[in-house]
Amino acid sequence: MNSMRPETFAANAREALADATLTGALRRATDTFADRRAAAIGAVPDWQELRTRAAAIKAHTLARLDHYLEQFVANAEKAGAVVHWARDANEACAIVRDLAAARGSKRLVKSKSMATEEIHLNAALAQDGREPVETDLGEWIIQLAGETPSHIIVPAIHKTKEQIGELFVDKLGIPPSSDPQVLAAEARTRLRAHFAAADLGISGVNFGVAETGTILVLENEGNARMTTTLPAVHVAVMGIEKVIPRFADLETFLRLLPRSGTGQHLTTYQSMLTGPDPTGQGPRELHVVLLDNGRSRIVADELMRQTLACIRCGACLNACPVYQSIGGHAYGSVYPGPIGAILTPQLQGMHSAGTLPFASSLCGACKDVCPVKIDIPTLLLELRRRAVEGEPAAAPGAPASLPTRRKPLEALGWRLWSWVTRSPARFRAASALTRLGQKLPFAKQLFGPLRAWQSTRNAPELAKRSFRSQWRGPVR
Amino acid sequence: MNARDAILGAVRDGLRGASAPPLPEPNATSAPLSIEERIARFTAVQQKLGGVVEVVADRRAACARIGLLLARQGAAVAALSDAPWLAGVADYAPVGCELLAADAARERLLQADVGVTGAQWGVAETGTLVLASAAERHRLASLLPALHLVVLPVRSLLGTLGEAFAAMQGAAGAPVARTLTFVTGPSRTADIELTLVVGVHGPKALHVLLVADDDAK
Repeated sequence: MNSMRPETFAANAREALADATLTGALRRATDTFADRRAAAIGAVPDWQELRTRAAAIKAHTLARLDHYLEQFVANAEKAGAVVHWARDANEACAIVRDLAAARGSKRLVKSKSMATEEIHLNAALAQDGREPVETDLGEWIIQLAGETPSHIIVPAIHKTKEQIGELFVDKLGIPPSSDPQVLAAEARTRLRAHFAAADLGISGVNFGVAETGTILVLENEGNARMTTTLPAVHVAVMGIEKVIPRFADLETFLRLLPRSGTGQHLTTYQSMLTGPDPTGQGPRELHVVLLDNGRSRIVADELMRQTLACIRCGACLNACPVYQSIGGHAYGSVYPGPIGAILTPQLQGMHSAGTLPFASSLCGACKDVCPVKIDIPTLLLELRRRAVEGEPAAAPGAPASLPTRRKPLEALGWRLWSWVTRSPARFRAASALTRLGQKLPFAKQLFGPLRAWQSTRNAPELAKRSFRSQWRGPVR
Repeated sequence: MNARDAILGAVRDGLRGASAPPLPEPNATSAPLSIEERIARFTAVQQKLGGVVEVVADRRAACARIGLLLARQGAAVAALSDAPWLAGVADYAPVGCELLAADAARERLLQADVGVTGAQWGVAETGTLVLASAAERHRLASLLPALHLVVLPVRSLLGTLGEAFAAMQGAAGAPVARTLTFVTGPSRTADIELTLVVGVHGPKALHVLLVADDDAK
């Protein structure tokens, strides 16, 4: 599963669909999530106003990102944090490797963070013999299995409890159990030892507040509190888009994120850290690594900019019929699902991830559930256009792509469609012809390039009488 | 060019001429709840999450209750924060239960069965406790032990999350503590088949004592 790449999406998806255990686990999990989310937002009367306000805060901040970044850095530094800037994944990994090496850190612990997955930080630190121990239960399971996360919020969503039980028998030598209580208790015991000995903790950042220089880390298990409290050094990796203007804005986002992500009204813990804690109860040093890695290109693209408003709740994954069927690994990218289908091509370039915008039925469920109102279907369509035209996913300076996805026959077909539908007379004639054609015995069997399309779908059938003719003529 | 200038330069160039939609006002706070409503709401939410809430008359009663809860837990080691009035717990702690001060060695704190701390605020609508590291040394005592006993004066129980964010920001705009922690129920996970397990890395149980009359005695 881990060798999957976006280029081979179609093959990845076929493989996932053939895995009954996987599809069963996915269906149960995404259904449960959707129900919990619906119940949670049903209890919030001003949900739509909240979404509107959050979207406006993000749109404002991203359009003034340079200003808010500078303000965030000034205030974080004033509070004693050390801020590092990383243009790309290599620079970010080098910063963390150097910090660990300079301090002679030997035991690293890490709490869940998508940004560190994006830059493959664990692999980089492993080169120095410093691979961090993942401490979020799901991430720890994935690390034991040597896999990658398949969901933004629940990394091991693709695994059944039986599979996890077998993994623990195999890797930890414990007696067989598939009871989540027993497995979680084992994780508590094992990871305590790592927390107690850790000398450097790595976390992500959910929000960075420009006004105060505060970073917020949100979680349920307590492992992020451990990671940001026990070791002498705390390194937080933060995408540059995570900044928000005011401390009070946290309230808006805290009401949206847990409800959208897990259906909780609030996750169990939020740690709001403003520089290192001078009371001596926490790490002596706080380092914030600000990560660009393609984000400044996305900021420059007026339409695509909204991609960066994402608060990584995972609601669009759970709502997406494609994700529900194939899971996260098939996307071959750190960010799966609808958000991954728009974010990955912009971060990695069309040449490697140009297939992903096509991995959608454009049903719009992702847009409906998005807490910051990202118009994912519109962005998917625009990215499809750019992929076909051979344009870069995000302007300017993004890795250019080859127009490999342009198919002359398909292009001709769409031109014909466009020509037909632009004239009422041509449209009527084509409809009549199709209705006639449907009566032929072999009409259900499409031909030529359309046959591939039909291999997993039924050809749609036109109604016996069009709406238009019913409207005009007598009701039958 | 260094990375900072390169990234800020790229963002600035990319946004040249971009118009920013106005920044909306933060959420308006809703109508204030009465103290009874706040207690009822806080208790209901905590119970749903597996926490326990009870109201005690005053600080002395809280210390007595803590002593009883330590005995009931069979605690061998309890970690106390440095809230001055928690010294009263010593009068009621069961025989054989060692009380650790906030500045005890890390290795000792890791062995504590129970952590006893205050909280700076509570939030009724979300059932949340707010811990401010500048007011009290409770970061470890509230995190490491399996049972967390928290004492909160009723007058510090706020209505909404919005009120908490206002309270946490000092007059000059900076947060009132370098570390502010929200605690809403015992630690939990649903990482295995979305099955809820209460008690992972943080406390497995949370017990809140609301102190009705907080005049120190």
